[in-house]
Formats: sequence, structure tokens, C-alpha cells
Amino acid sequence: MAGILIVAEQLDGTVQDISAELIGAAVSIKEQIGGPVQVLVIGQVPADLAKAVNLEGVDEILTIETASDHFDPLIYEEVVCQVGFGSKPSVVLIGHTASGMAYGAAIAARLGSGFASDVFGLGMDGDELIATRSAYSNKVEMELGFSGKAVVVLTLRGATFTPPKELGNGVVTAVEVDISMLVGVLSHVEYQDAPPSDIDISKADFILSVGRGIQVKDNLTRFAELADKVGATFGCSRPIVDNGWLPVQHQVGQSGNVASNCQLYFALGISGAVQHLFGMKHIDTIIAVNTDPEAPIFNVATYGTTVDLFELTDALEQLF
Amino acid sequence: MSYKEEIFLGAVALTAIALFLWGIGRHFIKYRRGSAHISASNITLGIKRMVTDLLTHRTLMKRDRYAGYAHAGIFFGFGIVSLGVAVLLLEIIRFLIIVHFDVAHPVFYMRFWEGNFYLIFSLGMDLGHLALIMGILMMMWRRATFRLSKLNYLRAYQGETELRKSAKVWRIEDWIFLSVFLLIEFQGFTQEGVRLVIYRPEWAMWSPVGLFVAETFKAFGMSKETAVVIRDANWWMHSVLALAFTAAIPWYKAKHIIAALGSLLMRVEKPLARLPREDENSVNAGVARISDFSWKDMLNFDACTRCGRCHDVCPARTTGFPLSPRDLILDLRVHNDNAQGVPQNGIELIGDVINAETLWACRTCGACQEICPVGIEHPPMIVKMRRQLVDRGNMDPLLQGTLDTIASTGNSFGENSRKRSTWKRELVFEVKDIRKNAAESMWFVGDYASFDPRNQKVSRVFASLMKAGGVDFAVLHEGERNSGNDVRRVGEEGMYETLVEENLEAFSGAQNFNRIITTDPHSYNTIKNEYPEFGKIPPVEFYCSVLAEMLKSGKLKVTKKLNKRVTFHDPCHLGRLNGGYDPPREVLEAIGCSIAEMPRNRNNSFCCGAGGGRIWIPDPPGIEKPSVNRMHEASSLGGIDVFVTCCPKDLTMFEDARKTSGHESEFVVQDIAELVAEAVELKTLTLKDLPSIAERLTDAIATRIAEAVATRLDKVLDAKMATLNAGPAVAVAPPVATESVAQVSETPVLGTSDPGHAAEAASEPAITHAVEALPALNAMDWDNLAPVTVGDIAGYSAPEKTGLRILVTVKHVAKLGDEYEFTADGLDIAEEFLDHELNEWDDAALEQALLLIEANGSGEVVVVSVGPEIAEKTLRKVLAKGAGRAVRIWDERLRNVDPVTIARSISAVVKAEAPDLVLSGTQSADHAHGSTSTALARILGIPHGSVISLVDWDGQGDMTLTRELEGGKRHVFKMPTPAVLAMQTGANTPRYATMRMIKQAKKKPLEVLDGASLIDGGGGYRVRRMYTPVQEKATMLEGSAEEVAEQIAAIIREKKGK
Repeated sequence: MAGILIVAEQLDGTVQDISAELIGAAVSIKEQIGGPVQVLVIGQVPADLAKAVNLEGVDEILTIETASDHFDPLIYEEVVCQVGFGSKPSVVLIGHTASGMAYGAAIAARLGSGFASDVFGLGMDGDELIATRSAYSNKVEMELGFSGKAVVVLTLRGATFTPPKELGNGVVTAVEVDISMLVGVLSHVEYQDAPPSDIDISKADFILSVGRGIQVKDNLTRFAELADKVGATFGCSRPIVDNGWLPVQHQVGQSGNVASNCQLYFALGISGAVQHLFGMKHIDTIIAVNTDPEAPIFNVATYGTTVDLFELTDALEQLF
Repeated sequence: MSYKEEIFLGAVALTAIALFLWGIGRHFIKYRRGSAHISASNITLGIKRMVTDLLTHRTLMKRDRYAGYAHAGIFFGFGIVSLGVAVLLLEIIRFLIIVHFDVAHPVFYMRFWEGNFYLIFSLGMDLGHLALIMGILMMMWRRATFRLSKLNYLRAYQGETELRKSAKVWRIEDWIFLSVFLLIEFQGFTQEGVRLVIYRPEWAMWSPVGLFVAETFKAFGMSKETAVVIRDANWWMHSVLALAFTAAIPWYKAKHIIAALGSLLMRVEKPLARLPREDENSVNAGVARISDFSWKDMLNFDACTRCGRCHDVCPARTTGFPLSPRDLILDLRVHNDNAQGVPQNGIELIGDVINAETLWACRTCGACQEICPVGIEHPPMIVKMRRQLVDRGNMDPLLQGTLDTIASTGNSFGENSRKRSTWKRELVFEVKDIRKNAAESMWFVGDYASFDPRNQKVSRVFASLMKAGGVDFAVLHEGERNSGNDVRRVGEEGMYETLVEENLEAFSGAQNFNRIITTDPHSYNTIKNEYPEFGKIPPVEFYCSVLAEMLKSGKLKVTKKLNKRVTFHDPCHLGRLNGGYDPPREVLEAIGCSIAEMPRNRNNSFCCGAGGGRIWIPDPPGIEKPSVNRMHEASSLGGIDVFVTCCPKDLTMFEDARKTSGHESEFVVQDIAELVAEAVELKTLTLKDLPSIAERLTDAIATRIAEAVATRLDKVLDAKMATLNAGPAVAVAPPVATESVAQVSETPVLGTSDPGHAAEAASEPAITHAVEALPALNAMDWDNLAPVTVGDIAGYSAPEKTGLRILVTVKHVAKLGDEYEFTADGLDIAEEFLDHELNEWDDAALEQALLLIEANGSGEVVVVSVGPEIAEKTLRKVLAKGAGRAVRIWDERLRNVDPVTIARSISAVVKAEAPDLVLSGTQSADHAHGSTSTALARILGIPHGSVISLVDWDGQGDMTLTRELEGGKRHVFKMPTPAVLAMQTGANTPRYATMRMIKQAKKKPLEVLDGASLIDGGGGYRVRRMYTPVQEKATMLEGSAEEVAEQIAAIIREKKGK
């Protein structure tokens, strides 16, 4: 009665990056927790998915075959609980993603387990598992304990934990669970891809992003032109997409795109909500322009300035 | 005159009088349909101002002397002539009475109609007519040749390229008015001329113009006989035309002759400086329909002469914004001519008659009403229509955000009110706190001067000047709120009232003070003019007067004459609205500056563009900002050293505009206090202040060192603890065999109409909550798990369901400023450092619920929140937006508790309410758990959808939902109801709730439930500690925009190898 159960995330048959990150997190506390690290994969052809999560430190991969690859929170919740009652892990790790959010807390409520979401730090205090997460709009952090809880369910922040570098040799075990009563409660209709665009934030190596600070839609053009001039891909934060000013392909952040190959990031008028930081805080060199010297973006930026972004743009236009 | 002729003329005269009276009467009926005129006009003052204005013609002369003289000719000429006609009419009536009724009363035989009186009368009439003709001709010449833009009805600022039909009619009307008038006058002189040709009396020289006409006629060989024929014919034509002219007065442009008198008489003492209050019982907020305008407003519409002076001076129109005060009034008049004060079906006053963009373009600078010769008060009408726009939520998103911010934090910067005093920190002396110590003066600092870094410098300078000048002053610190001046001018009357109440409460709760000093003309205006309508206010003084007095009395001594050539910008709220033109100029002279006035100065000052809340509304690119226009004006003076301001908003606007207008190298923008400080060589350090500085410095250094050491120590200790606690590795347990997988004891029940049932059924395993006693990892026993059950609040029963019911969970989220302290136990932030507001995601959920109910045609939205009493602020807001009922659950132990416990608490209400759908936000802005709704659905045993961006549901059965995935992908799926949905922002545009709506929502039911029974010692986590993370801040690039740009370009080039 120990061990860590990880729920791998897949979208339409492709294992998502968060899965490997969860494994990385599990491995970091594996010794202290004790017991095996098990990864649960759910899908139409789970054997294929299992390969992608067989990373260093994984002891066992439990596969559940379902009729389709489409995400169904009810089925995920049910499967995790049933598998859990079998292997009795002490920690269950789930990605804090759009899908993970749809069932993570449900498992916790169902089990009456310990629970924390959007966790970005894991540690131990003696025997007690410690999770760290932000509070008050990312301004402070809180350290959480789960004393008295036999099981702790955590959803972990993406792009935070380092995935294992090497492949593993976990045993793949097919597990059968009865989910018949849940099949068809929800029904899949379709996936809608984001409208086609020649922008690929995830591949860009230099991104110039704009946020709320540009004030009105009509200002977009000049920043798009500036991006063009300096040779950057044009990105933006969520409010710009929410306002319908740019399609989502331009959005950097959790609900947009992670700038995974970016080396240089130039943020104009972006305050730095967690959501946005998610997609860019790992970047090597970040230049941030924001009139508020206390803006959270400066906590992740390499260089910062509080000059007026329009004046700065004027000046930059002259230099390129 | 024959009897028949008499009857004919009588009939014509009576018809004319009837038409005239009918026209007048129609106006009165129309005015009666208007609403009450709330700002009481001061009639005595009105008469005084009207008589002075008319006799001096000062408003007409102002900035257009030609038109002034021309109108004076027409006005005084017409006045004399009308008097003459009146006397003549009386004479005719007297004659008719004597002849027809044979009255012998001596009154009718009084003779004054001869001798000198007649001669002077004759001369007067003659000259009067001459003046009138001259005036008309001047006006015609002006219209025909001057090509004045203000007389051009083409709305180029709205992109019009061709005159509209109504404008074409106006042009014809203008010319008919002048031409007919001129024709009547010519007929008059013709009549006089032929009479003199016929009679040639001795006194003819007393009618010099008539005589000149007569001589001319004779020179052209006119015989007496011809003259008689002309006289008889012309007499008829003249009489009929004059009568027709009179009859037509109330029916077209000429009505200004009467309406302007009324309009001038009814002028409000301070129409814009003191805006009318809103009638709390009125059906509509502000002006929604034509009949919501007051009768005085309608009188204003009719008084307009289309002179275009307001069109000329308006800063919005000048810089290409879609507002011309002239066209606004004319559009309203044209509409009201048709509507006659009755709202028209199918025509929206705001939208069809006046565009919302037009109303939002106004900067409430007051230039239009200041220049209007007939006393039209445009800005109050604009504000009244804005009140309606705000009520409809028809406003710029940035403005809506700012209003929400002011509502939650009390300032437009969204800062925690504790930050109000940070500007004082760099001062070397203590600034008194009026809440603790009495002072001679209370300085109301204002938002910009408190929070904006550039203006904070000015605040420090002014504070130091007062200190040096021996002024005993104190400030309210965090007790101060936004003064509300601009909030009121935006049209958010309810919020204005709330701000006034809060400030007045702070004033009355403070120690004694005898006057209020302000450094912001906007605060100055509202506190001085509007606050007294709400409570007692001591004298209010503007800092320029305080500076002028200190310099005059020698309390501040000028030790260095500045010898600078400066220009001064009159802030609208100080100058035009409050007449404070002189004190700043006195100050500038006293410190040795020579003032070069800009062409538009004093009452003709050109607004910086920030007034009326425009500072919170972005100016679209491509349009020249008024502030930039002003910079060009200042630059045109040449050789200016300093552009002087005395308004924080001016400083902000012009500092920006100086750079963007390309005049950066020509002059600097400075506040007047900064110049004074330079002239008196203000020493920031004085010997007397030294001890306190030393103390403060030591304090500051000590705190910093302590903080730095503490964080480092924490880190070291943490690392040490981690290695100590790691302990020996636990052996990896063998993989669990597939066969051993047990079946879950209970399967979830879905789609049930009794949401509580499922979870109750699932709660079979024994509840063994060993709170905090057991070490976590030893208690690993899946067999002893205790599912979270539906909460139970005794005694709560929901009203009976009558239709569709949607429950929305809302959170009063906390906003943390830059400065805060932790609670004594170190587990949370101390309450006083938190501001609160409605969670953005819950706002989206509420909007979705309201849209569903609206689409369904009926039903109710019930909101539930877990929060202390202050959370009712948010609940009132959501009730104002359209929710029907609110339920608040609270127990002190629920403060900042984990999401599973919150979900359990809410489940108690959901169970009782049995709604058809539960909507919540995807996450809360403060803690962003993103978990409450998921846990809630599970506890209730109903399905759940996360990060939902689209809901397609007809109120029953399955819904089609779209959820947002990472990378912009979307997933569409179907789900049965009841269910819990977590809404994503951007799914809709939440509506705005005005403070008025919020106040009215106080009538809606809000039930408070005791949450004590909801705490069972469970919950998802226990907070061990809360702390500020050690952040490695970015290296800040300093310098001007150009210098920073160079540095950034270098970084980019280095990284990109370009």
C-alpha cells in the first residue's frame, strides 16, 4: 500500500507532454513515498500509448482499452478509482490541464482523499508529502500538507517538472475494468482544430508578443509590423484572443501554445498572468516591457523596462 | 381704408396672431411632456445675466466680432422697430376704438403722438431700421463669402461628403430668414419714401433714411400719383409679409428670438460643475427617450441658432472625433420637432438619433456651453444620456474595467488603498494623518497624484513646499477614495454617490480641519461644487491659490528668479468650470516667469482630452489627440522653455503628447509646484528634519537587512531539513496483479433529478477521519476511505421551482496589492491587505446563465457563494446583473479553505435548490484551484464539463458543449442534464451592473446560511505556511525610450546574430 499512480494524458491517440512531466515529478519523490510508480494509459490502442510513457523510473504501465480515444471525464474518474482500489497507491498524479481539471477533483471527492491542484513543487517533510502551489494571483506561495490522508490526489502544473531523459523498462499490464454503465452518458461529437494559420508558436525561436497594454485593436498592425521587421513570430496573451483581435494560434500560454523552441521572447504590454507565464517562462532570454514595475512578468524576465511601449516601438522601428 | 379692407387686414392679422400663438402653444405642450428640470435655475441670476449678455452682446462678440456687430444691428434694430410697431399698433387700436365705439373716455384722447416725441420716435425708428438692414446685410455677406467652417453643415468629422436633406433645408431656412427680413425692411423704407414723396412734410429730415429714399425716387422722376399707387400696393404687401413673418416665428429658426430669451433666463448657475442628480424613482437611468429630457433641455434645443461656435471650439470635433455639440443639439431638435416630446415607436433616441460614439467622444470640458450665445448647456445633456449608456453597459471595455476597479478598490489604478501613501515614503518629514491628528488643512491628494509615479514626484514637491511655507496640513492616507468627479461625468451616477458617501464618511471621521486643499482640479470641482449637496464641506482651495498666498505673504521666498519663458495651460475644471484663471498666473509672475499665452487661453482653453472619463477610454489610432493638437499650439509660440500645468491628468497627457507630437526638444512639461520649488530653492533636507531622517533611514535599512537575512536563512534551513527528513529509501513494492483489482463499492448514478441521491448512496465506507494525528503515509488504507458527502444545512429549503432554474456559483475573489503582511500564524494574508471583486470566470458563468434564461423566455438564476459578509458586495452585483436570488454560506472556519470543502458547502444548497443546471467559473482569479466545480459535480453525482466555451442547450435534455483544449483546439460533446459546467472567460461579454442597479438589487432576496455544520475536519489539504517566493527580478533597462530601444536592439541582434 504505497506507490504513485500517474494518469497519462492523451489527445486523439497522441500522448501529451504533461504525461512525461508527471513521471518526472513522481520519480523525484519515488524513494520517499515508496512503492511502485505506475502509469495508467487509457485509449483505443493502449499498447501504443504505453510505449510513449515507458520512461526511466516507471515500474508498471497499466493499460485500459476503451472504445475510443476521446476524453470522457466520467470514464477517467471511474477507471482511476477502480484501478486505485486494486493497487492502492498513496499518491495519484494528474496533469492540471483542461482534461485533468475535469476529473482530478472528482476523484478526490469520491475518495475523500487529500487534494491539491496546480501544484508546481513536491517534497517531503518526514513522512508527510508536501505540495507547493501559488495563491493570490501567483503573488505568494503556499505549502500544503495532507496529514491524515491515506491517498493524495494532485494535479500538477505543466511545463514545470522535468521529464526523465531515458527510456524505462516498466512492465505493461492490461487491466480490465467495468465501465459499461458510463459508456454513452457523454457522447463525442467532434474535435475542432484551431483555424489554420501559418503561425506556429511552438516552433518559433524568436517571439514578439503583445498583451492588454496595446489598448485597442487598431494598434495591432504596428506591432505585427514591428515583429516582421525584427524577424520575430507575432504572439499575444489571452485577452487579445478573448477580444477576438487575433486567432488563438498567436496565443502564448496554457490555453494557447507553449513556446517550446523559443530562445528569445519579447513581451510588450503583458503583465504576466500564470496562464501566460506557463507558455514562456522557461525561455532563455525574455525582454519585458510594462509600465507597472511590479508586474509579475518581471519575475521571469531577463531584462525589463517600464518605458511607454508606444514610444519604445517608435524608437525600435527606427532601429530595424 | 375701406371697411372691407379693414376686415381683410383684420382677418390676416388674426390668422397671423393665431398661427403665432398656436406655434408658441405647441412648444409649451411639447415642453410639458419633458421631465422635471432638476437643477434649479436661479431666476434672479438668470435675469441679471440675460440682461447683461443682451445689452453687451458679449457672448456674441466673443471670438467673432463681425458676427457680434452684425447681430447687435439686427437685435437692437429689431428691438427698436418692434417697440415702434407695438406703439403703432396701440395707436391703431385707440383710433379704431374711438371711431367704432364712440368712446369719450379721456384716456383715449391723450395726445403724445405729435411734436418732439414724434420726431424723435421717427428718427429712432429710421435708425433702427437702418441698423437692422445693415446687420442683415453683414450676415448675408458673411454667409456668402466668409466660408466659415462653423456655418458649414457638412459633417466632415463623420466622413460625410454630401449634405444631408435636413442640412439642405437648414441652408434654405437660413437664407429665407435673412432675405424675407431684408425684404420687409426694404418695403418699410419704400413705404416711408413714397409717403415723403406724397406729403413732403417739414419734419422729413427726422426720417433721414426715408428722406434719402424719397429723394432718390424723385430723382428717378417718381410722380405723386405713382407714389400713391405704390404706397397703397406696398402697404398691403408690407403688412401681409410682416404679419406672415411674425406668424412664422415659432415655426422655424426664427424661434430663437423667443426661445433664446427663455434659454438665457433658465441658465443653471453651474451647469457642468454641478451636474443634476438622478431621480432615484425614475424608470430610466438618465435620458433614454426624448421625454426624459427636461423641458429646459427642450427649450435649449429650440434656442439654437446654428451659429456653430460650439462646433468650432469642441476639442472632440477639432481632432476628428464624431461629436459636434451643434449637430448634437440640432439632431435632438429635429427629432423633437417630429416627436413633440412623445417617444417615437421604432426610433431609439440613443442609437438612431444620437450615436453612442458621439456621446463617448465628449470630454466634458465645457467649451461648448461657455461659448454658446443663447445659453444652451450641452454637457449635462450628454452626461444624462451617458447615464443611460452606462445602464445598458454600452461602453468601452477599458472604461467598464476601470469602473469595476474603482468599485472594488476605490481608485482607478486598481491598487490596494494602502498604496495611497507610498508617495510620502521618500519625504524627509512625516505627513500628518488627519484621522489621528487635527490640522489646519486637509489635503485631498487624488488618485493620479497618489499612484502615478510622475505625479507622485509633484505630490512630494508640493508637500515639501507646504512644509517649508508653514502650512499645517494632513492627509487621509488610505481613507481617501476616488473623488468621483470623472465617474460622475462618465455617467455612473450611482457609483459617484457611493464614492461621495465614502469620502464624506472619511471627512467626518477625521480630526478637525478647517479647509480642504486639492491638487487636482477634478477633485477640486466636485468637492467644492457637488459634495455640498451631500454633506457639509469646509472651504475648498486649489493648490495654486495656496502657492500664490505663500509667495505673496513671504512664507515662501523667491531666492532665484527663474527668468523662464513659459506658457500656461488652463485646466478645464479649474478655469472654465471654476474661474480659477488668475492664481496660477500670479504664481508664475511671482517666481519670475514671463508668460506667453497660447492663442486659446483662459475661458477658451483647449482641453487636454482626458476629461469626462476619457482618460479611461483609449483614443483610436489615426486620430490626432487633443493633447497633441495643444502641443502644436504651444510650439507655435516659439522659444518656450516650459509648458506649465497644474493638473495631474494634464501632466500625464502632455508629457506623452510632447514626445509623440515631435516637440520633445523644444520645451519641457512641468507642474507649477516644481517651478516654485526651483524658484524658492527648496531644500529637501533641513537640519531640523535630520534626526527623523536618520531614524527613518535606519529603520528602512534594518527592515531590508532583516528581510534579506530571513529569506536566505529560510532557504538554508529548508534545504537542511529536507536532507534530514529524507530518511532511508522504502523498498519498491511488487507490481499489483491485475486480478486483485477490486470493483468499486458503488457506481455513480447519473442524470438523476435528485442530485443529492447519488453521493449519499456512495458514502458507504466508514468515515474514519483521524485529523492531523496520523502520519500521512502510515494511514494508507484504501479500504477506509470516506467519500465527501453532500453537505447539509439544517432548515434551508429553497422556494418551489416554477420553471427553469440555473444555479451559479460565484466567488468574491481577493486581490492582493504589492504590499501585504501575513496573518500571525503565517498561513494566510492579513485581511486588511486584500481588495475583493467578482471573479472574472464566474462573471462569464453568470452571463451564460442569464443568456440561457433569456433564450428560454422564463426561469430564474440563483447565485451561491461561500464567503463572509463583505462577499455580499459581489452578490449584490450579480443580483443587479439579473440573478433572482442569492444565498451566502459562511462560517469563519471556511476562510481560505480548500476547494473540496467549498464544493461540499455549495452542494448543500444545490441539493435543496435542485436546479436544472449549475454553472461556475473554470477557476478563481485568486487561488486558481480550477477544482471546485469538478468536486461539486462528483459530490452531487452529476456530470461535469470543464473549460467550457460554448453551451448549446434549449433548457431541457442533453446539451451540446464545446470545451477548450490546449493549443486552441476544441472538443465538442454532448452531455445530459442536470450537470455542472465550468465556464471559460471569453465565452461571452459579461454585462455591466451600475451602482444604481446594485442599489436597486438590495430588494432582491439574499439568504445567509450558517456553514458550521459543513466543517467535518476533512478537506483536501492543510496549509502549512504561506510565504513570498524569492524572485529573481529582471535587470531593468533605464533611460529614455530611445535609449532603452538601443539596448533592446543590441540584445536582439546579439541573440539573433543580426
